[in-house]
Amino acid sequence: MHLLLSLIFIPLLMSILVGVFGDFISKRLSHVLTILGVLISFICSIMLLNDFLITQQTQDILLFNWSIIGEIEFQIGFLVDSLSLAMASMITFVSLMVHIYTIGYMEHDEGYKRFFSYISLFTFSMLMLIFSNNLLQLFFGWEAVGLVSYLLIGFWFKKPSAINANMKAFIVNRVGDLGFIIGIAIIVYYTGSLHLGEIFSQLTSIEGQLISILPSSSWHAVTVASICLFIGAMGKSAQMPLHVWLPDSMEGPTPISALIHAATMVTAGIFLIARMSPLIELSSIALSFILIIGSLTAFFMGLLGLVQNDIKRVIAYSTLSQLGYMTAALGVSAYSVGVYHLITHGFFKALLFLGAGSVIIALHHEQDIRQMGGLRKKLPITYITFLIGTLSLIGFPGFSGFFSKDTLLEAVHLSEQGGSHLSYYLLLMGVLITTLYSMRLLFLVFYGSYRSTHYPLAKVHETPWVVTLPLLLLAIPSIFLGGLIIDPMIMGGYFSGAIFVSPENQSLQEFIDIYHGVIEFIIHAFVASPAIYLMLLGILISWLIWYKNYSLPKQFASLIKMLETVFKNKYYFDYLYENIFSLNIIRLGKMLHKWVDAHLIDSVFVLGSARTVQQISSKTRQLHTGDLTQVALIFFVLLVIFTAFWIS
Amino acid sequence: MVTDLVFFTSVAILMISAMGVITSNNPVHSALFLVSCFFQSSVLWLLLEAEFLAIALIVIYVGAVMVLFLYVVMMLDIRKNQHKQSVSSILPIGIGISILFIAELIFALSGTNVVQTRDTGVLSNPNNTEALGIELYTNYLVEFELASIILLLGIIAAISLTLHRRPGLKKQEISQQVSVSKKDRLKVVQVRSGEGA
Amino acid sequence: MSVNDYFIISIFLFAIAVAGIFINRKNLILILMCVELILLSVNFNFIAFSEIYQDFSGQIFVFFILTVAAAEAAIGLAILITLFRHKKSIYIDDLNELKG
Repeated sequence: MHLLLSLIFIPLLMSILVGVFGDFISKRLSHVLTILGVLISFICSIMLLNDFLITQQTQDILLFNWSIIGEIEFQIGFLVDSLSLAMASMITFVSLMVHIYTIGYMEHDEGYKRFFSYISLFTFSMLMLIFSNNLLQLFFGWEAVGLVSYLLIGFWFKKPSAINANMKAFIVNRVGDLGFIIGIAIIVYYTGSLHLGEIFSQLTSIEGQLISILPSSSWHAVTVASICLFIGAMGKSAQMPLHVWLPDSMEGPTPISALIHAATMVTAGIFLIARMSPLIELSSIALSFILIIGSLTAFFMGLLGLVQNDIKRVIAYSTLSQLGYMTAALGVSAYSVGVYHLITHGFFKALLFLGAGSVIIALHHEQDIRQMGGLRKKLPITYITFLIGTLSLIGFPGFSGFFSKDTLLEAVHLSEQGGSHLSYYLLLMGVLITTLYSMRLLFLVFYGSYRSTHYPLAKVHETPWVVTLPLLLLAIPSIFLGGLIIDPMIMGGYFSGAIFVSPENQSLQEFIDIYHGVIEFIIHAFVASPAIYLMLLGILISWLIWYKNYSLPKQFASLIKMLETVFKNKYYFDYLYENIFSLNIIRLGKMLHKWVDAHLIDSVFVLGSARTVQQISSKTRQLHTGDLTQVALIFFVLLVIFTAFWIS
Repeated sequence: MVTDLVFFTSVAILMISAMGVITSNNPVHSALFLVSCFFQSSVLWLLLEAEFLAIALIVIYVGAVMVLFLYVVMMLDIRKNQHKQSVSSILPIGIGISILFIAELIFALSGTNVVQTRDTGVLSNPNNTEALGIELYTNYLVEFELASIILLLGIIAAISLTLHRRPGLKKQEISQQVSVSKKDRLKVVQVRSGEGA
Repeated sequence: MSVNDYFIISIFLFAIAVAGIFINRKNLILILMCVELILLSVNFNFIAFSEIYQDFSGQIFVFFILTVAAAEAAIGLAILITLFRHKKSIYIDDLNELKG
């Protein structure tokens, strides 16, 4: 209990201390305080995880009831189980790394203390989200991380592009949140509770209920609720078509991109669906929907990564693609695999972002990969760690990402879920694409010759230890973590207490049955799955194109050119949103302003009522002569009238 | 018999005087009619054995308040307004309403017969002034003191409202005169021989 | 003569005084005098009831009314003088600043 409270609230305390009293403390004290807070948090989460592994006991702690309306109780409470503890350990570790890294990255920034305050606040919000035992508190954490994300994307608030990006992130997330809150409302309507445990025990009452959305069609309430929750998850986890905010969010400082927009906040959607697994399991339509959206995102967003020239944007699209993988895993009921990939991805993607940040600092805030090249000699530590991250991302055998991605692909392959065949092939192609853009980034940044003209290579040197230390510390789990935790987490039923999979959707079980340890797993991957060959093919192609500069045959070139235009414009999603949705909404707004606001409300109600009062008063004011004798007479007449009432 | 005669004579004069107050054109005449009203009221109060109040009415009203009224009438030059309409156009309505009001109250009075309900003997003290004084200084002490504060307020308010400071008025500042010292008035100069004017 | 006759006196005195307030167009002094008359009529009531109920409270109350009326007359006249200084008139038709 005390461990849990200090795990969650110490980051908040530090955030308030640094945020409010920032003017009175030194820069050094501000980062010492926040890092200490997150360190305590990390230690607490490891201790809690250790306790959990020994006792295997899920705890549901009620802190207090803050409001009761009718039958519904609004609680502040915490659910400590396998899922939340696994997430918490990853989050606090990555957050700790990012805190340390920030000392180096933000060293000369004016908003140094503000930044530390924000990221500690973020850690608190994220922990509130994952430990929450009811939907309302979960929603609070959900919104709080959204708020901090908004603040941090617009951290350099004098930059117009940053302000546009944070507005975009906020607005797109509102679309998702609308779905989320409607989902919560449906659940509360049918189960009469916000508490997760009570909801899951009440599920029989929601099963089979119908909601008629349009007059002629009715849907199962479970399906509607699940899809609404997933729409919330789509906003936060940037699934198509609500993904547009994530690439733009790279306007924020790099540590934030690593912490919020790669490792933790964007995975909140995945977490939500895994958390709500008993509900989602009841609707195969919702599962198929999740699966299709996930695999489409995984494939198409990966393609966009191929044409980006901003180092951070390439990784951002990679994040989108990987989130698609996780979502697809959820769609085939392999929640544990989704969370497993989430955790391994959290480490290696944070590593990649921080590595990219390290390159950016070394080149004095240059982000264009066309201006880089040949940096591996100058930045050895960054290079090695970045390489590890890349290999993990593309699923090179033995690395962390390999295990999670291969398990994921197998789960999709074995699934009977509607749309799973299509998804499987999309995801397989995604592996090739992942390899292509990752290796392209690696080759363009660290190999070849240095291409920048305005920042001489001689001035480039390795970044300070506060930057490289987190890279090294993150590189370790990026290599080993996947292999270490696959046994207990996937095969050993670690999540059995937190995640429910219905008997019809046990696709993963077949895979678990043929699993015989890590070494066999690697060998099996070579024999059974084309993924590894696709990956090797991808490495070969990218080596040819971006290392050897082997030019493509002419007939391909024009096709590629055409595709590139489409990719550069991000499938015209932004165009669609800005020119069709937004413009028409603005037009509608202007029309409403002109007719409803200006004519109806202003002319009729506001001015009309004023004019009416004026006309009435222009008549009645004549009664008000100010004549003393008249006033006295009226007074006396009234006195006589009241006396008449009194005596009668 | 004599009492009845005194009573009805006084009432008649009281009513005539009251009418005179509101109808006469000259405010000095109004004030004098009002004085007559107070005198007749005093006689009527004496008949009700309220001797102290009857005397107080004459002393306070006739002796002080009405004199104040007459002073004010004298101070203000109100004769110049005489050319204007002296009776309002709503006179008929006013008289009608007043008669209605009298009718209403007499009707209300006729329905009830107020009679003497008890004889506590409080008023049997032949010395009305003494009895009133005992009451005032015992049971109504706080109210009595409050009345003095109200009078003080009346004095202060009246003075502060009418106090009129004319600009350029020369007057003594006694505190400044007293606190003056030698240095302010006297300047000692050393005059050398041959240089004085 | 009976005590009830005093109530009749009081009623008439009151009605005359109130009529005096609104039928005269002359000046404010008359209104102040009418207020004094109204107070006098009220005093009649109090003294009559004091006699009927054989209770001193009525007379005590009249005593306080006289006190307050004296203060009121003083302040009323002071206001009248101030008003006359400002407007050079106490004619009622000139006092219609509150006209709407």
